[in-house]
Amino acid sequence: MNSIIFGLLAAISLFIFFNLGKVKASNKQTNRDDRINWGTPPWRKKNPSSKRDSSSGRIIEGEAEEINKD
Amino acid sequence: MARHAALETFGRSGNPVFGNKFNQSQGFVGSERMTLDGTVNKTGILLGLCFFGAIISWNIPNPFLMVGGALVGFCLAIYTSFVPRNAGITAPIYAFVKGLFLGGISLVLEMQFPGIAIQAIGLTFGTLASLLFFYKSGLIKPTENFRLMIFSATFGIMILYLVSFVMSFFGSGIGFIHSNGIFGIGFSLFVVCIAALNLVLDFDFIEQGAENSLPKYMEWYGAFSLMVTLIWLYLEILRLLAKLRSR
Repeated sequence: MNSIIFGLLAAISLFIFFNLGKVKASNKQTNRDDRINWGTPPWRKKNPSSKRDSSSGRIIEGEAEEINKD
Repeated sequence: MARHAALETFGRSGNPVFGNKFNQSQGFVGSERMTLDGTVNKTGILLGLCFFGAIISWNIPNPFLMVGGALVGFCLAIYTSFVPRNAGITAPIYAFVKGLFLGGISLVLEMQFPGIAIQAIGLTFGTLASLLFFYKSGLIKPTENFRLMIFSATFGIMILYLVSFVMSFFGSGIGFIHSNGIFGIGFSLFVVCIAALNLVLDFDFIEQGAENSLPKYMEWYGAFSLMVTLIWLYLEILRLLAKLRSR
C-alpha cells in the first residue's frame, strides 16, 4: 500500500512536471522589477535604486533664482 | 562571433552549477535557441538515464559501481559547471553514473528500512512538481535576496559536510549532523528545505535562459542543473527518512 501511494505520487508529479514545465511562467512571475539578474553573482548585488539616487540627487527641481550679491 | 559572445555569458548562481555571466541584454543570434520544451525533454532524458543506472546498480550490487559512480559523477559535475558548452556530452554520462551511485545507496538503505526508496522517490518528485507549480503561478518569487540567502545556506552546508568528511579521517566528526536525535533530524529538515529551494533558482534560471534566447546547448546545462539539485534533494530525503525510521 505504501509503495502504491508513493509510486502514484511520483508518477503524478512527473506528469505535472513534463506538462507544466513546458508552460511559460505567469506574468506575475515574469513582469517583476526585482527579478534575479543572472549576470551578476549573488555576492555582487547591484542596487539600482541607490545608483539612481546618487545621480538624481544632484538635480534640484524648481525654478532657478538669480543671486544678488548686494 | 555572436555565438562566442553568447556562449560566454554564463557564470555562477545560487546553485553551484550556474555561472555568473548571464547577461540579459545579450541574446543568442543563431538558428537554434534554448526553449522550455527542449529543457524539459532533456531533463526527461537525464532522468531516464539516471533510472537506468540505478536499476543496474540495484540488480547488480557492487561497491565499485557505487563508489565509482559517486566519484566520476562528482568530477563530471565540477567539469560541467565550468564548461557548460560540453553539457550535451557530460550531462548524460553524469546522470547515468549518478544513477549507479543512487541505486547502490538506495539498496543499502532499503535492506535496513524496507520501502524507504519509493518513499524518497515519491517525496522528491512531489517536491519538484509542487515547487514548479508555485514558481509558475508566481506564488514563490525568487529575488536577489532570495538567491543570496539560498547561496549562503548551500555554501554553508557544503563547508560543514567537507569539514565533517575531513574530520572523519581522524576518527572524529560533527556528531549531530549524522545523529537521529532531534538536532540531527532538524538539521536534515533544514538541508531538505535548502535543496528544495534550490529548485526554484533552477526554474528561474531556465525560464530566463529561454526568454533571453540562449544557445541550444544551454538546454542540456539547465537540465543538468536540475538533475544536480534533484539528486541532492533525493539523497537528503533518503537520509531524513532513514533517521526518522531508525529512532
